[in-house]
Amino acid sequence: MTIRVALLAAALTLAAPALAKPVIGQPAPDFSVIDASGKTQSLAAYKGKTVVLEWNNPECPFVRKHYGAKNMQAQQSEAAAQGVVWLTINSGAEGKQGHLDAAGAKAYVAEVQGKQAAYLLDTDGRVGHAYEAKTTPHMFVIDKDGVLRYMGGIDSIPSADVDDIPKATQYVRQALADLAAGKPVSVPTSEPYGCSVKYGS
Amino acid sequence: MHVMTTKPRHERMKMLACACGALLACGLAPAIAQEPRPDAAEPEHVEVELISEHTAVVPGQSLQFGLLLRHEPHWHTYWINPGDSGLPTTLRWTLPAGFKAEEIAWPLPKRFDVGGLYNFGYDGEVVLPVALSVPADAAPGSSAHVEVEAKWLVCREACIPGKASFAMDLPVVADPPKPDSRWTMQFARARARLAQPQATAWKGETRVDGDRIIVTLRGPSLPETEGLDAFVEQRKLVDNKPPTIRRDGDALTVGFAKSEYFAAEPETFDLILTRPAASGVRGWRVQVPFAATAAAP
Repeated sequence: MTIRVALLAAALTLAAPALAKPVIGQPAPDFSVIDASGKTQSLAAYKGKTVVLEWNNPECPFVRKHYGAKNMQAQQSEAAAQGVVWLTINSGAEGKQGHLDAAGAKAYVAEVQGKQAAYLLDTDGRVGHAYEAKTTPHMFVIDKDGVLRYMGGIDSIPSADVDDIPKATQYVRQALADLAAGKPVSVPTSEPYGCSVKYGS
Repeated sequence: MHVMTTKPRHERMKMLACACGALLACGLAPAIAQEPRPDAAEPEHVEVELISEHTAVVPGQSLQFGLLLRHEPHWHTYWINPGDSGLPTTLRWTLPAGFKAEEIAWPLPKRFDVGGLYNFGYDGEVVLPVALSVPADAAPGSSAHVEVEAKWLVCREACIPGKASFAMDLPVVADPPKPDSRWTMQFARARARLAQPQATAWKGETRVDGDRIIVTLRGPSLPETEGLDAFVEQRKLVDNKPPTIRRDGDALTVGFAKSEYFAAEPETFDLILTRPAASGVRGWRVQVPFAATAAAP
Protein backbone atom coordinates (compact mmCIF):
# COMPACT_ATOMS: atom_id res chain seq x y z
CA MET A 1 0.00 0.00 0.00
CA THR A 2 2.72 2.40 1.00
CA ILE A 3 4.63 1.45 -2.12
CA ARG A 4 1.59 2.07 -4.29
CA VAL A 5 1.14 5.51 -2.80
CA ALA A 6 4.80 6.28 -3.34
CA LEU A 7 4.59 5.15 -6.96
CA LEU A 8 1.50 7.21 -7.51
CA ALA A 9 3.24 10.23 -6.04
CA ALA A 10 6.19 9.66 -8.32
CA ALA A 11 3.91 9.40 -11.31
CA LEU A 12 2.24 12.66 -10.39
CA THR A 13 5.57 14.40 -10.00
CA LEU A 14 6.61 13.22 -13.43
CA ALA A 15 3.34 14.35 -14.94
CA ALA A 16 3.50 17.81 -13.37
CA PRO A 17 5.75 19.58 -15.89
CA ALA A 18 3.52 18.51 -18.77
CA LEU A 19 0.49 19.92 -16.99
CA ALA A 20 2.20 23.23 -16.25
CA LYS A 21 1.14 24.96 -19.40
CA PRO A 22 0.53 28.66 -19.69
CA VAL A 23 -3.19 29.33 -20.06
CA ILE A 24 -4.76 32.78 -19.83
CA GLY A 25 -6.99 33.01 -16.76
CA GLN A 26 -5.25 30.06 -15.09
CA PRO A 27 -2.51 30.10 -12.46
CA ALA A 28 0.84 30.76 -14.14
CA PRO A 29 3.43 27.96 -13.76
CA ASP A 30 5.58 28.49 -10.69
CA PHE A 31 9.34 28.33 -10.99
CA SER A 32 12.47 28.53 -8.92
CA VAL A 33 15.66 29.67 -10.60
CA ILE A 34 18.72 31.72 -9.67
CA ASP A 35 19.27 35.25 -10.88
CA ALA A 36 22.48 37.06 -11.87
CA SER A 37 23.22 37.94 -8.24
CA GLY A 38 22.88 34.31 -7.13
CA LYS A 39 19.51 34.81 -5.46
CA THR A 40 16.78 32.24 -5.95
CA GLN A 41 13.75 33.74 -7.66
CA SER A 42 10.33 32.13 -7.58
CA LEU A 43 6.95 33.29 -8.82
CA ALA A 44 5.32 32.29 -5.53
CA ALA A 45 7.49 34.80 -3.67
CA TYR A 46 5.74 37.64 -5.55
CA LYS A 47 2.19 36.74 -4.62
CA GLY A 48 0.36 40.05 -4.13
CA LYS A 49 2.36 41.74 -6.88
CA THR A 50 1.91 41.90 -10.61
CA VAL A 51 4.79 40.19 -12.41
CA VAL A 52 6.10 40.60 -15.96
CA LEU A 53 8.30 37.89 -17.52
CA GLU A 54 10.46 38.86 -20.47
CA TRP A 55 12.46 36.28 -22.44
CA ASN A 56 15.81 37.69 -23.48
CA ASN A 57 18.79 36.94 -25.70
CA PRO A 58 21.13 39.95 -25.84
CA GLU A 59 22.33 39.07 -29.33
CA CYS A 60 18.95 38.60 -30.95
CA PRO A 61 18.16 41.46 -33.38
CA PHE A 62 14.57 41.69 -32.11
CA VAL A 63 15.79 42.09 -28.54
CA ARG A 64 18.30 44.66 -29.73
CA LYS A 65 15.49 46.47 -31.53
CA HIS A 66 13.59 47.02 -28.28
CA TYR A 67 16.62 47.63 -26.05
CA GLY A 68 18.34 49.78 -28.66
CA ALA A 69 15.34 52.09 -28.85
CA LYS A 70 15.04 51.98 -25.02
CA ASN A 71 11.50 50.68 -25.42
CA MET A 72 12.11 47.74 -23.09
CA GLN A 73 13.92 49.81 -20.45
CA ALA A 74 11.19 52.49 -20.50
CA GLN A 75 8.53 49.87 -19.87
CA GLN A 76 10.65 48.29 -17.14
CA SER A 77 10.91 51.69 -15.38
CA GLU A 78 7.18 52.32 -15.70
CA ALA A 79 6.45 48.87 -14.31
CA ALA A 80 8.81 49.40 -11.37
CA ALA A 81 7.14 52.75 -10.61
CA GLN A 82 3.78 50.94 -10.42
CA GLY A 83 5.16 48.30 -8.06
CA VAL A 84 5.21 45.67 -10.81
CA VAL A 85 8.01 43.09 -10.63
CA TRP A 86 9.77 42.71 -14.00
CA LEU A 87 11.83 39.55 -14.41
CA THR A 88 14.02 39.09 -17.48
CA ILE A 89 14.78 35.46 -18.25
CA ASN A 90 17.56 34.00 -20.38
CA SER A 91 16.86 30.37 -21.36
CA GLY A 92 19.83 30.16 -23.71
CA ALA A 93 21.77 26.95 -23.14
CA GLU A 94 25.50 27.04 -22.56
CA GLY A 95 27.33 27.35 -25.86
CA LYS A 96 24.31 28.81 -27.63
CA GLN A 97 24.02 32.33 -28.96
CA GLY A 98 23.08 34.82 -26.25
CA HIS A 99 23.72 32.50 -23.31
CA LEU A 100 24.93 34.48 -20.31
CA ASP A 101 26.53 33.48 -17.04
CA ALA A 102 26.03 35.58 -13.90
CA ALA A 103 28.88 37.99 -14.67
CA GLY A 104 27.81 38.33 -18.28
CA ALA A 105 24.24 39.02 -17.26
CA LYS A 106 25.31 41.73 -14.82
CA ALA A 107 27.48 43.36 -17.47
CA TYR A 108 24.64 43.22 -19.98
CA VAL A 109 22.09 44.78 -17.63
CA ALA A 110 24.57 47.53 -16.73
CA GLU A 111 25.37 48.15 -20.36
CA VAL A 112 21.80 48.46 -21.59
CA GLN A 113 20.80 50.22 -18.36
CA GLY A 114 18.12 47.63 -17.78
CA LYS A 115 15.53 48.47 -15.16
CA GLN A 116 14.28 44.94 -14.55
CA ALA A 117 13.95 43.71 -10.96
CA ALA A 118 16.14 40.69 -11.73
CA TYR A 119 17.82 38.82 -14.61
CA LEU A 120 17.13 35.08 -14.30
CA LEU A 121 19.56 32.44 -15.55
CA ASP A 122 17.44 29.58 -16.86
CA THR A 123 20.34 27.79 -18.51
CA ASP A 124 18.63 24.39 -18.44
CA GLY A 125 15.51 25.92 -20.03
CA ARG A 126 13.15 24.62 -17.37
CA VAL A 127 11.30 27.91 -16.89
CA GLY A 128 11.25 28.50 -20.64
CA HIS A 129 9.71 25.12 -21.30
CA ALA A 130 7.15 25.54 -18.49
CA TYR A 131 5.97 28.75 -20.16
CA GLU A 132 6.51 27.38 -23.67
CA ALA A 133 8.58 30.47 -24.36
CA LYS A 134 9.35 30.43 -28.07
CA THR A 135 10.89 33.71 -29.00
CA THR A 136 13.04 36.52 -27.73
CA PRO A 137 11.35 38.63 -26.70
CA HIS A 138 8.33 36.65 -25.46
CA MET A 139 6.28 38.35 -22.77
CA PHE A 140 3.98 37.21 -19.95
CA VAL A 141 1.98 39.26 -17.45
CA ILE A 142 0.83 37.61 -14.22
CA ASP A 143 -1.59 39.33 -11.84
CA LYS A 144 -1.39 39.71 -8.04
CA ASP A 145 -3.11 36.35 -7.54
CA GLY A 146 -0.62 34.53 -9.73
CA VAL A 147 -3.04 34.24 -12.65
CA LEU A 148 -1.70 34.57 -16.19
CA ARG A 149 -3.27 37.63 -17.86
CA TYR A 150 -1.17 38.22 -20.98
CA MET A 151 1.16 36.18 -23.14
CA GLY A 152 2.69 37.02 -26.49
CA GLY A 153 4.70 39.68 -28.24
CA ILE A 154 6.00 42.87 -26.73
CA ASP A 155 3.99 44.79 -29.34
CA SER A 156 1.73 44.53 -32.35
CA ILE A 157 4.16 44.90 -35.28
CA PRO A 158 6.34 41.85 -35.89
CA SER A 159 9.48 43.33 -37.43
CA ALA A 160 13.13 43.96 -36.69
CA ASP A 161 12.74 47.68 -37.54
CA VAL A 162 13.16 50.20 -34.76
CA ASP A 163 10.95 52.59 -36.78
CA ASP A 164 7.94 50.36 -36.17
CA ILE A 165 7.99 50.77 -32.37
CA PRO A 166 6.14 54.12 -32.22
CA LYS A 167 3.48 52.79 -34.60
CA ALA A 168 2.86 49.60 -32.63
CA THR A 169 0.49 48.90 -29.73
CA GLN A 170 2.66 47.99 -26.75
CA TYR A 171 0.74 45.01 -25.44
CA VAL A 172 2.53 44.65 -22.09
CA ARG A 173 2.12 48.33 -21.25
CA GLN A 174 -1.55 48.05 -22.22
CA ALA A 175 -2.06 44.92 -20.13
CA LEU A 176 -0.47 46.56 -17.07
CA ALA A 177 -2.67 49.64 -17.51
CA ASP A 178 -5.78 47.46 -17.80
CA LEU A 179 -4.86 45.50 -14.67
CA ALA A 180 -4.06 48.67 -12.72
CA ALA A 181 -7.50 50.00 -13.67
CA GLY A 182 -9.13 46.77 -12.50
CA LYS A 183 -10.26 45.98 -16.05
CA PRO A 184 -9.91 42.78 -18.03
CA VAL A 185 -6.84 42.80 -20.26
CA SER A 186 -8.06 44.01 -23.66
CA VAL A 187 -5.59 41.96 -25.69
CA PRO A 188 -4.72 38.88 -23.59
CA THR A 189 -2.73 37.02 -26.25
CA SER A 190 -0.78 37.85 -29.35
CA GLU A 191 1.61 35.78 -31.36
CA PRO A 192 5.15 36.40 -30.10
CA TYR A 193 7.74 37.34 -32.68
CA GLY A 194 11.52 37.27 -32.66
CA CYS A 195 14.42 34.85 -32.62
CA SER A 196 13.83 31.32 -31.38
CA VAL A 197 14.78 30.66 -27.76
CA LYS A 198 18.13 28.83 -27.94
CA TYR A 199 17.32 25.84 -25.75
CA GLY A 200 19.83 23.08 -25.20
CA SER A 201 19.04 19.70 -26.69
CA MET B 1 17.83 47.26 -77.17
CA HIS B 2 17.27 46.80 -73.51
CA VAL B 3 18.88 47.92 -70.32
CA MET B 4 18.71 45.75 -67.27
CA THR B 5 20.34 46.70 -64.05
CA THR B 6 20.20 45.31 -60.62
CA LYS B 7 22.15 47.25 -58.09
CA PRO B 8 25.69 45.99 -57.84
CA ARG B 9 26.49 43.59 -55.07
CA HIS B 10 28.70 45.92 -53.09
CA GLU B 11 25.87 48.40 -52.84
CA ARG B 12 23.49 45.78 -51.55
CA MET B 13 26.03 44.72 -49.01
CA LYS B 14 26.44 48.28 -47.94
CA MET B 15 22.71 48.61 -47.42
CA LEU B 16 22.67 45.48 -45.35
CA ALA B 17 25.61 46.71 -43.35
CA CYS B 18 23.60 49.87 -42.69
CA ALA B 19 20.70 47.86 -41.34
CA CYS B 20 22.99 45.96 -38.99
CA GLY B 21 24.91 49.09 -38.14
CA ALA B 22 21.75 50.86 -37.07
CA LEU B 23 20.89 48.04 -34.73
CA LEU B 24 24.36 48.04 -33.30
CA ALA B 25 24.40 51.79 -32.85
CA CYS B 26 20.98 51.67 -31.27
CA GLY B 27 22.14 49.86 -28.27
CA LEU B 28 24.07 46.67 -28.43
CA ALA B 29 26.20 46.58 -25.36
CA PRO B 30 29.80 47.35 -26.34
CA ALA B 31 30.94 44.58 -24.01
CA ILE B 32 29.05 42.15 -26.16
CA ALA B 33 29.87 43.76 -29.46
CA GLN B 34 33.55 43.30 -28.76
CA GLU B 35 33.21 39.61 -28.15
CA PRO B 36 33.75 37.49 -31.22
CA ARG B 37 30.36 36.72 -32.71
CA PRO B 38 29.86 34.04 -35.31
CA ASP B 39 27.79 36.47 -37.41
CA ALA B 40 30.25 39.30 -37.43
CA ALA B 41 32.72 37.89 -39.93
CA GLU B 42 30.06 37.06 -42.46
CA PRO B 43 27.43 39.74 -42.47
CA GLU B 44 25.21 38.43 -45.23
CA HIS B 45 24.52 34.65 -45.35
CA VAL B 46 22.10 35.07 -48.24
CA GLU B 47 22.55 36.56 -51.69
CA VAL B 48 19.46 38.33 -52.90
CA GLU B 49 18.61 39.47 -56.39
CA LEU B 50 15.61 40.74 -58.36
CA ILE B 51 15.06 38.74 -61.54
CA SER B 52 12.64 38.97 -64.46
CA GLU B 53 11.54 36.03 -66.57
CA HIS B 54 11.54 38.15 -69.71
CA THR B 55 13.79 40.81 -71.14
CA ALA B 56 10.89 43.19 -71.78
CA VAL B 57 7.31 43.91 -70.69
CA VAL B 58 4.19 43.97 -72.86
CA PRO B 59 1.14 46.25 -72.51
CA GLY B 60 -1.87 44.48 -71.01
CA GLN B 61 0.12 41.40 -69.94
CA SER B 62 1.13 39.89 -66.65
CA LEU B 63 4.79 38.99 -66.40
CA GLN B 64 6.78 37.01 -63.89
CA PHE B 65 9.35 38.60 -61.66
CA GLY B 66 10.98 37.08 -58.63
CA LEU B 67 13.23 37.62 -55.69
CA LEU B 68 16.05 35.11 -55.98
CA LEU B 69 17.51 34.08 -52.63
CA ARG B 70 20.68 31.99 -52.45
CA HIS B 71 21.26 30.90 -48.87
CA GLU B 72 24.57 29.89 -47.43
CA PRO B 73 24.44 26.28 -46.19
CA HIS B 74 22.47 25.96 -42.90
CA TRP B 75 20.88 29.41 -43.24
CA HIS B 76 17.23 29.96 -44.05
CA THR B 77 14.63 32.66 -44.66
CA TYR B 78 10.89 32.38 -44.06
CA TRP B 79 7.54 31.43 -45.56
CA ILE B 80 4.40 33.58 -45.21
CA ASN B 81 3.81 31.77 -41.92
CA PRO B 82 7.28 31.61 -40.37
CA GLY B 83 6.35 29.20 -37.57
CA ASP B 84 7.50 29.60 -33.97
CA SER B 85 9.88 32.46 -34.70
CA GLY B 86 11.21 34.44 -37.64
CA LEU B 87 9.62 36.83 -40.11
CA PRO B 88 8.33 36.38 -43.65
CA THR B 89 10.24 38.15 -46.41
CA THR B 90 8.45 41.31 -47.53
CA LEU B 91 8.55 43.24 -50.81
CA ARG B 92 7.58 46.86 -51.33
CA TRP B 93 7.34 47.81 -54.98
CA THR B 94 7.70 51.19 -56.62
CA LEU B 95 6.28 50.91 -60.12
CA PRO B 96 5.34 53.11 -63.05
CA ALA B 97 1.74 54.37 -63.11
CA GLY B 98 -0.77 51.63 -63.86
CA PHE B 99 1.63 48.76 -63.14
CA LYS B 100 0.57 46.42 -60.37
CA ALA B 101 2.48 43.78 -58.44
CA GLU B 102 0.59 40.78 -57.04
CA GLU B 103 1.42 39.23 -53.70
CA ILE B 104 4.30 36.73 -53.54
CA ALA B 105 3.19 33.31 -54.84
CA TRP B 106 4.82 31.52 -51.92
CA PRO B 107 6.77 28.39 -52.92
CA LEU B 108 6.22 25.21 -50.91
CA PRO B 109 7.81 25.64 -47.50
CA LYS B 110 10.31 23.42 -45.78
CA ARG B 111 10.16 22.58 -42.07
CA PHE B 112 13.18 23.46 -39.91
CA ASP B 113 13.56 21.99 -36.44
CA VAL B 114 15.34 24.60 -34.33
CA GLY B 115 15.94 22.87 -31.01
CA GLY B 116 12.35 21.64 -30.67
CA LEU B 117 10.83 24.82 -32.09
CA TYR B 118 9.68 24.78 -35.70
CA ASN B 119 10.19 27.25 -38.50
CA PHE B 120 8.88 27.20 -42.05
CA GLY B 121 10.86 28.60 -44.93
CA TYR B 122 13.58 28.12 -47.47
CA ASP B 123 17.21 27.16 -47.70
CA GLY B 124 19.47 26.63 -50.70
CA GLU B 125 18.22 28.51 -53.74
CA VAL B 126 14.65 29.72 -54.00
CA VAL B 127 12.68 32.23 -56.05
CA LEU B 128 9.77 34.11 -54.51
CA PRO B 129 7.71 34.71 -57.67
CA VAL B 130 5.61 37.82 -58.15
CA ALA B 131 3.33 38.51 -61.12
CA LEU B 132 3.51 42.07 -62.36
CA SER B 133 0.72 43.37 -64.56
CA VAL B 134 1.42 45.98 -67.16
CA PRO B 135 -1.33 48.46 -68.09
CA ALA B 136 -2.80 48.24 -71.58
CA ASP B 137 -1.82 51.82 -72.27
CA ALA B 138 1.90 51.36 -71.57
CA ALA B 139 3.64 52.80 -74.63
CA PRO B 140 5.83 50.46 -76.68
CA GLY B 141 9.22 52.04 -77.11
CA SER B 142 9.19 53.48 -73.61
CA SER B 143 11.05 52.02 -70.66
CA ALA B 144 9.57 50.71 -67.42
CA HIS B 145 11.49 51.39 -64.23
CA VAL B 146 10.72 48.71 -61.65
CA GLU B 147 11.95 49.05 -58.08
CA VAL B 148 11.50 46.88 -55.04
CA GLU B 149 12.62 47.05 -51.45
CA ALA B 150 13.04 43.60 -49.98
CA LYS B 151 13.30 42.87 -46.27
CA TRP B 152 14.14 39.47 -44.91
CA LEU B 153 15.34 37.72 -41.81
CA VAL B 154 18.02 35.11 -42.36
CA CYS B 155 18.70 32.64 -39.55
CA ARG B 156 20.85 29.68 -38.75
CA GLU B 157 20.41 29.62 -35.02
CA ALA B 158 21.32 33.27 -34.89
CA CYS B 159 19.22 35.64 -36.97
CA ILE B 160 20.19 38.65 -39.03
CA PRO B 161 17.67 41.04 -40.54
CA GLY B 162 18.54 42.28 -44.01
CA LYS B 163 17.13 44.67 -46.52
CA ALA B 164 18.07 45.86 -49.97
CA SER B 165 16.59 47.81 -52.85
CA PHE B 166 16.75 46.59 -56.41
CA ALA B 167 15.96 48.40 -59.62
CA MET B 168 15.45 47.20 -63.15
CA ASP B 169 14.69 49.05 -66.39
CA LEU B 170 12.83 47.01 -68.97
CA PRO B 171 11.75 48.11 -72.44
CA VAL B 172 8.03 48.10 -73.20
CA VAL B 173 7.49 46.13 -76.42
CA ALA B 174 4.44 45.26 -78.48
CA ASP B 175 5.70 41.78 -79.49
CA PRO B 176 5.77 38.75 -77.24
CA PRO B 177 8.77 39.29 -74.96
CA LYS B 178 11.83 37.06 -75.08
CA PRO B 179 12.68 34.95 -72.04
CA ASP B 180 15.81 36.02 -70.23
CA SER B 181 17.89 32.87 -70.68
CA ARG B 182 19.81 33.53 -67.47
CA TRP B 183 16.74 32.78 -65.37
CA THR B 184 14.78 30.20 -67.37
CA MET B 185 15.82 27.40 -65.03
CA GLN B 186 15.00 29.43 -61.91
CA PHE B 187 11.48 30.26 -63.09
CA ALA B 188 10.84 26.66 -64.18
CA ARG B 189 11.89 25.46 -60.74
CA ALA B 190 9.80 28.16 -59.09
CA ARG B 191 6.70 26.92 -60.97
CA ALA B 192 7.43 23.35 -59.96
CA ARG B 193 7.64 24.45 -56.35
CA LEU B 194 4.17 25.97 -56.21
CA ALA B 195 1.38 24.01 -54.58
CA GLN B 196 -1.21 22.52 -56.93
CA PRO B 197 -4.60 23.94 -56.04
CA GLN B 198 -7.18 21.26 -55.17
CA ALA B 199 -10.13 23.57 -54.79
CA THR B 200 -12.69 21.29 -56.42
CA ALA B 201 -11.12 17.83 -56.54
CA TRP B 202 -10.88 17.27 -52.80
CA LYS B 203 -13.56 17.75 -50.21
CA GLY B 204 -12.37 18.73 -46.81
CA GLU B 205 -13.77 19.38 -43.38
CA THR B 206 -12.34 20.51 -40.05
CA ARG B 207 -13.27 19.39 -36.61
CA VAL B 208 -12.16 20.84 -33.31
CA ASP B 209 -11.57 18.06 -30.81
CA GLY B 210 -10.55 19.59 -27.49
CA ASP B 211 -7.23 21.22 -28.16
CA ARG B 212 -6.78 19.44 -31.49
CA ILE B 213 -7.88 20.59 -34.92
CA ILE B 214 -8.46 17.71 -37.30
CA VAL B 215 -8.77 18.14 -41.04
CA THR B 216 -10.28 15.32 -43.08
CA LEU B 217 -9.73 15.25 -46.84
CA ARG B 218 -11.52 13.05 -49.36
CA GLY B 219 -11.05 12.87 -53.08
CA PRO B 220 -9.13 11.35 -55.96
CA SER B 221 -5.35 10.91 -55.87
CA LEU B 222 -4.78 11.79 -52.25
CA PRO B 223 -1.03 11.58 -51.60
CA GLU B 224 0.69 8.75 -49.79
CA THR B 225 1.32 9.50 -46.14
CA GLU B 226 4.98 8.55 -46.24
CA GLY B 227 7.09 11.71 -45.97
CA LEU B 228 3.96 13.84 -46.10
CA ASP B 229 3.99 17.08 -44.12
CA ALA B 230 1.31 19.71 -43.69
CA PHE B 231 1.38 23.45 -43.08
CA VAL B 232 -1.30 26.05 -42.48
CA GLU B 233 -0.87 29.41 -44.19
CA GLN B 234 -2.64 31.39 -41.52
CA ARG B 235 -0.84 32.07 -38.28
CA LYS B 236 -2.34 31.61 -34.81
CA LEU B 237 -4.51 28.63 -35.74
CA VAL B 238 -2.38 25.56 -35.09
CA ASP B 239 0.85 25.07 -33.23
CA ASN B 240 3.92 24.44 -35.33
CA LYS B 241 4.87 20.89 -34.41
CA PRO B 242 4.64 18.27 -37.15
CA PRO B 243 1.01 17.18 -37.47
CA THR B 244 -0.29 13.63 -37.17
CA ILE B 245 -1.14 12.44 -40.66
CA ARG B 246 -2.90 9.18 -41.36
CA ARG B 247 -4.91 7.38 -43.97
CA ASP B 248 -8.35 6.49 -42.71
CA GLY B 249 -10.11 4.39 -45.35
CA ASP B 250 -10.62 6.67 -48.33
CA ALA B 251 -9.85 9.74 -46.25
CA LEU B 252 -6.67 11.48 -45.24
CA THR B 253 -6.71 13.02 -41.78
CA VAL B 254 -4.30 15.68 -40.62
CA GLY B 255 -4.33 16.42 -36.90
CA PHE B 256 -2.79 19.57 -35.47
CA ALA B 257 -2.57 20.83 -31.92
CA LYS B 258 -4.54 24.05 -31.63
CA SER B 259 -2.38 27.14 -31.28
CA GLU B 260 -2.26 28.61 -27.80
CA TYR B 261 -2.78 31.95 -29.61
CA PHE B 262 -5.94 30.76 -31.37
CA ALA B 263 -8.23 33.76 -30.98
CA ALA B 264 -10.83 33.72 -33.75
CA GLU B 265 -12.24 30.98 -35.94
CA PRO B 266 -11.26 31.57 -39.55
CA GLU B 267 -13.67 31.06 -42.42
CA THR B 268 -11.30 28.69 -44.12
CA PHE B 269 -8.24 26.75 -43.26
CA ASP B 270 -5.57 27.09 -45.95
CA LEU B 271 -3.74 23.80 -45.86
CA ILE B 272 -0.56 23.00 -47.75
CA LEU B 273 0.58 19.38 -48.06
CA THR B 274 4.15 18.62 -49.15
CA ARG B 275 5.89 15.41 -50.03
CA PRO B 276 9.45 14.75 -51.21
CA ALA B 277 9.58 14.05 -54.94
CA ALA B 278 12.22 13.35 -57.55
CA SER B 279 12.04 17.04 -58.53
CA GLY B 280 12.65 18.07 -54.91
CA VAL B 281 9.22 18.56 -53.43
CA ARG B 282 5.63 18.24 -54.55
CA GLY B 283 2.72 19.99 -52.91
CA TRP B 284 -1.01 20.56 -52.82
CA ARG B 285 -3.07 23.43 -51.56
CA VAL B 286 -6.58 23.01 -50.28
CA GLN B 287 -8.95 25.48 -48.68
CA VAL B 288 -11.07 23.72 -46.13
CA PRO B 289 -14.14 25.39 -44.62
CA PHE B 290 -13.64 25.86 -40.92
CA ALA B 291 -16.90 24.41 -39.65
CA ALA B 292 -15.68 24.59 -36.07
CA THR B 293 -17.31 23.15 -33.00
CA ALA B 294 -20.90 23.14 -34.23
CA ALA B 295 -20.17 19.95 -36.19
CA ALA B 296 -19.91 17.87 -33.02
CA PRO B 297 -23.01 15.67 -32.53
